[in-house]
Amino acid sequence: MAEGTLGPVSLSVFGAALKVAAKELLESFRDRQTLLYTFVLPVCMYPALFWVMVQGVLVVQGQKNARDVTVGIVAEDSTFEEARLALGTEDDEEPSGGAVATVRLTPEPAADEAERQAQMQAQMQAQMQALLEQGGDDAPDAIVVLPGAVAGTEVARVYFDSTNSRSEIARERALVSLASWADDLRTKAADERGIDPEALDPIVVRSNSVAEKKDEGALLLSLMLPMLLVIMSVLGAFFPAVDLTAGEKERGTAETTMLLPVPRTAVHLGKILAVSTSAMIATALNLLALGLSAGHLLDQLSGASGGSMVVQLPVGALMSVLPLAVLFAFFVSAMLTGVASLAASFKEGQALLGPVQMVFILPAMAATLPGLTLNTTTAWIPVVNVALAFRAMLVGDVQALPLAICALALFGAALLAIWFSIRLRSNEQVALAGETLSLGKLFSLLAPSKS
Amino acid sequence: MTESTNPGHGAAIFADGLKKTFRDPQRGVVEAVRGVDLDCQPGEIYGLLGPNGAGKTTTLRMLSTILAPTSGRAVIDGIDVAKDPLEVRRRIGFLSGSTGLYPRLTGRETLRYFGKLHGLEGDALEASIQRAIEDFDLSKFADGRCETLSTGQKQRVSIARAVVHDPPVLILDEPTTGLDIMASSDMIKFIESRREAGRCVLFSTHILSEAERLCDRIGVVYSGRMLAHGTLDELRADTGKEWLEDVFLALVQRADAEAVVTAAGASASSGESDA
Repeated sequence: MAEGTLGPVSLSVFGAALKVAAKELLESFRDRQTLLYTFVLPVCMYPALFWVMVQGVLVVQGQKNARDVTVGIVAEDSTFEEARLALGTEDDEEPSGGAVATVRLTPEPAADEAERQAQMQAQMQAQMQALLEQGGDDAPDAIVVLPGAVAGTEVARVYFDSTNSRSEIARERALVSLASWADDLRTKAADERGIDPEALDPIVVRSNSVAEKKDEGALLLSLMLPMLLVIMSVLGAFFPAVDLTAGEKERGTAETTMLLPVPRTAVHLGKILAVSTSAMIATALNLLALGLSAGHLLDQLSGASGGSMVVQLPVGALMSVLPLAVLFAFFVSAMLTGVASLAASFKEGQALLGPVQMVFILPAMAATLPGLTLNTTTAWIPVVNVALAFRAMLVGDVQALPLAICALALFGAALLAIWFSIRLRSNEQVALAGETLSLGKLFSLLAPSKS
Repeated sequence: MTESTNPGHGAAIFADGLKKTFRDPQRGVVEAVRGVDLDCQPGEIYGLLGPNGAGKTTTLRMLSTILAPTSGRAVIDGIDVAKDPLEVRRRIGFLSGSTGLYPRLTGRETLRYFGKLHGLEGDALEASIQRAIEDFDLSKFADGRCETLSTGQKQRVSIARAVVHDPPVLILDEPTTGLDIMASSDMIKFIESRREAGRCVLFSTHILSEAERLCDRIGVVYSGRMLAHGTLDELRADTGKEWLEDVFLALVQRADAEAVVTAAGASASSGESDA
């Protein structure tokens, strides 16, 4: 009998493959993990997480919109009033957003022609930086220098500090207002001459950041490092949490551990401590490796992209992050250890912790939102608070009260997670379960007993 | 420590109406053990005999504090398992098919870990480890990771782990299951040696020859209940059978018949009340 004609009905290779595939799919879709990853996560969890992120972005955007900023204007007498009207707003004009106040600035005049030429570049930059950093209620967040206001200025320039979120907001609003004003001026000029506005050269507006290169590097690190610290901590805790719980069941040593002549709480705490230690070691080693290799890489990248920012790992700031990092490691480790305890095997433990780690990592991305800062509200939100606190510490912009709230909230979260983990693991059905427990079962285990 | 005033008249192991129910998502409430009574004296070997699923393992897990009894009372060496499970764990050595060795530790590290947690330290700890290594002939592989050991070697390390603190009570769940002839023989010798040392040994098995050879008394467990217990001669007298296999089958058939009568009675009284 020829191959492929085993019975009365001949099966082609493709037909046989389809039948095999159908059986494999049937088996796969009867597997809880496959169902979770194929249907539940795409349909429910990730949209929910991204919805939360979008809401977060909207909140941040709302906060940005609501901020009042001050724009300094450097202009000739003839254009100042018009510029003030174009750039400035009053509170009642912008009910949904923050107001833009304007202040007139007068740079020191250049003494001679040589100095006037120099003023175009370095001196102007330095003078604007000094004005932006002067502090006080009337201090500008960004400065608009109009053409002709200073010797040699042919284009409109917006000076701002790229490492300062208020200055960024002021720059964005100034650019929008300048674009609109420039269009009006162009249309008006074209009307006066009776020509098409497109025939006139557009008014050029440029942005200049007065931030020093090392501050820009610090900003970049402050955006990246908090998220990396959180991810490193979570990944560092991931495998030990599975190994010491579900892995122990798989290896047949869970019952051996239950026989240890010490209180069960001590056993559970010991496991959480071991997972936390792994998380901290992994975080420290990752940071070390990052310090040795990534600083140079980021220098190269910033150079390749046209910038020349200076990127250095802030060792001192990282040391100050340590106490919060330790608390966070306990929080993460206790949560992951508790959840992994529900699994009966290493593979199932990995599957269970996959979505859980996203619950930690996605909120940590909040630290990359430039407008979101650690304040007395955000300091209460788990994970978001620690990421923002890390960022505040890395840029040296720490306020005592939000930081204290963050530490308190993190301490509370860590205690709660440890309680959750111990309570879960103390349940003999969780400790000895031969199969992974469902969420429904988890809730019934955690619910207060009626008896 | 919770000392009982009269726990089973000096029994090393005493259980009275021990019950265990589980809530299973598929099967609902499962009564794994429905009221087991037993007592085991120091220097005695007591065998729990029963088929798979009879409730032997659950009973032993309750006695060793791995599971908490749903109701009833169990006392080990004078300590109530529900009131002071930690002290009970200090006084027992427990061994079963599911008390595996930590694969990444060596045999010596395993003994040191358990010894330390049992409160041994310094010279006393080292002496206990050395004694266990000599008693169970572990010297050739005591420093190899447990994951690299053969089944027989693992079994010997497991026994040493269970008795490194020289407990007065030893609880063994089907200790010879899965072992080859040599390892089984070693295990039987070990159980006999514990009796000679005046220790109490409670073990479960479904291997009748083992029970006949080793046990001073035998308890027959079936469907979560203790059907009968006593010496082999007492069980023979009770059933009128000579061989333990026949004794066991007679007890099981008697229990099944009683269950049918009870069910019929319950059905009849239910019918009367409906009418």
